[in-house]
Amino acid sequence: MSVTAAPAHVRPPEPRPSAWIAWVASARAWLFLALLVAGFEVWAQTSFQATFIGNIFNIRSIAVFAVAPLLLAIGQTFVIISGGIDLSVGFTMGLAAVVVSHVANLATPVIGDVPGLIVACAAAIGVSIIPGLVNGFLIAWLRVPPFIGTLGMFGVARGVAFLLAGGTTVPVSNDALSYLGNGSIAGFPVVVLLTIAAMLVLHYLLGQTRFGQYVYAIGGNRAATVRAGINVRGVTLRIYVLSAVCAGIGGILYAGRFSAGAAQAGEPLLLDSIAAVVIGGASLFGGSGTIVGTLIGALIVAVIQYGLVFIDVEAFWQFVVVGVVIIISVLVDQSQRKGGRVDE
Amino acid sequence: MKKLLSAAVAVLALGVLATGEAQARKVTIALIPGLTTDAFYITMHKGAQAAADALGDTLTFQGAPDFNPVTQVPVLDAVIARHPDVILIAPTDKVQLIQPLKKAIEAGIKVITVDTFIGTGKYQTGAGDADFPLSYVASDNILGGQIAARALAKSIGGKGKVYVSNVKPGVSTTDQREEGFKSELKNYPGITVLETQFNDDDANKAASQLQSVLARNPDLAGVFGANLFSALGSANGVKQAGATGKVRVAAFDAPKAIVEPLKKGLVDIAIAQHPAEIGYFGVVAAHAVINGQSIPTAIGTGFTVMTRENIDEPAINQFLYSD
Repeated sequence: MSVTAAPAHVRPPEPRPSAWIAWVASARAWLFLALLVAGFEVWAQTSFQATFIGNIFNIRSIAVFAVAPLLLAIGQTFVIISGGIDLSVGFTMGLAAVVVSHVANLATPVIGDVPGLIVACAAAIGVSIIPGLVNGFLIAWLRVPPFIGTLGMFGVARGVAFLLAGGTTVPVSNDALSYLGNGSIAGFPVVVLLTIAAMLVLHYLLGQTRFGQYVYAIGGNRAATVRAGINVRGVTLRIYVLSAVCAGIGGILYAGRFSAGAAQAGEPLLLDSIAAVVIGGASLFGGSGTIVGTLIGALIVAVIQYGLVFIDVEAFWQFVVVGVVIIISVLVDQSQRKGGRVDE
Repeated sequence: MKKLLSAAVAVLALGVLATGEAQARKVTIALIPGLTTDAFYITMHKGAQAAADALGDTLTFQGAPDFNPVTQVPVLDAVIARHPDVILIAPTDKVQLIQPLKKAIEAGIKVITVDTFIGTGKYQTGAGDADFPLSYVASDNILGGQIAARALAKSIGGKGKVYVSNVKPGVSTTDQREEGFKSELKNYPGITVLETQFNDDDANKAASQLQSVLARNPDLAGVFGANLFSALGSANGVKQAGATGKVRVAAFDAPKAIVEPLKKGLVDIAIAQHPAEIGYFGVVAAHAVINGQSIPTAIGTGFTVMTRENIDEPAINQFLYSD
């Protein structure tokens, strides 16, 4: 995971106040992550003479743990920067996991593992686009508040996923899919490599393209963006479709990893993914946030949860610590807002 | 006089008819599962339906999509409003469902709990405020935990470190599995039980926890997944760590998704409950009560231990939960 870009890359082409604040937040997040890792390392060294971060097994485990919430979070980053929120991603992920399992089970005996996987992935991505389109339409054209529109889609996607799954967990048997979920290339788990690839693409989209600039613009000041003649509706639609596709990829990887299409696969990940985006410096009011920030946020959430088990903290304290970290992050976010936010 | 006689005969006949009807009274039964989206409860529903068909009773199946009192109570209220004779319910919390179920009793509806329980699970004792259900029909989850402990202890040769991967605290059944598992392992001095890890029913988290516990305890020998996602997640953690065969995985519950992991050796042992049996005897108990029979306050149903070796035998795999 350390191959990702340095914070300097984060800056979108034209520095604007909100982007600068995001950079500061992202740097803070780096610092926080480093402190966390150092804390666990010291604890491990002093209390049971082991290394936390020096153990490659720990790093790999944390990376694999972080990918599922991270896939939801990078799509969510676009949504949150644009001033919205997507509550439906968890069940869109579950829907994709169920669809990929069903289609793989149907197609694999007929056309083999790899073609079966391709067909199944295409079907899963295709299906996961639908909630994204509906969300985008509701929010951009009908002006439904994102919180409500995507909450409705949360219910619909959940219901459809469970209906398709027959109310249970669909076992899936396809070696290529299993390889996606559990294989590794030169010691790097495939799920991690795929997630890094997706992250780089989204990082480029957000930071280096006109589309990315529009996302910031909509979140910063929607009315001004409309007056500037930008197709805000079209951009909003694409933002929610992007979020849904990320969730769909998450669902495919889940089905590969656990050989099971579970409709509830993404349910527990929704809050972790939003937490990752916010801890990573994005503002829930829109206009700021970066993919690298979200990466750090997801790593912080994963490192805390993994590290607390590693140093053998009692389960109930784990809940408390994770909650406290989220609160601290939001407080930091707010103090930045008071300090320097300038609306364009 | 003749008229009077025939009237008397008619009344008598009516009376006989009426008592005849009472003896085979059709019972309306509402089954409220812990959640509707789970193969375990779907299989329970099938067993219940089979009994209802055999006895000529009417069965409805209504529940919430997740295992949560907040969503289960409104369903329960709606069912009470429909006024069935008996409610068979898998309460989603030992405490939070007590007051809502009292409303059913006040409405004259009999309550039997299936799979999970309220209060202590000891009913009709006159003690406490949650002894009012007539019967508790379920697998003995403490026994199930003990069976899992014995099977896991055997597969790790009676020594090493193990831990329980559990869903969340406060769920009667999974708490009992853990309790049974830990109490049975006290009989194995060579086995150390580590701190329980709670995964919120998230396989991803269960996998990560397994890897963290293993990183801390390289001599980890086994894990007991107290439900499907705990077990699937732990098994994946073992696989990702390259420790398949070194860390043994015991799974509680046996939906079809457990078959592949069993055959591939990712999961070593699966403890199957008999949910169809729970549903069947729940309905039979409901029918008996409404027709004036007494019923036991607890009805215990069985378990089947599944392994890679026996999973293909029809006598074993008939207990996989069907959808």
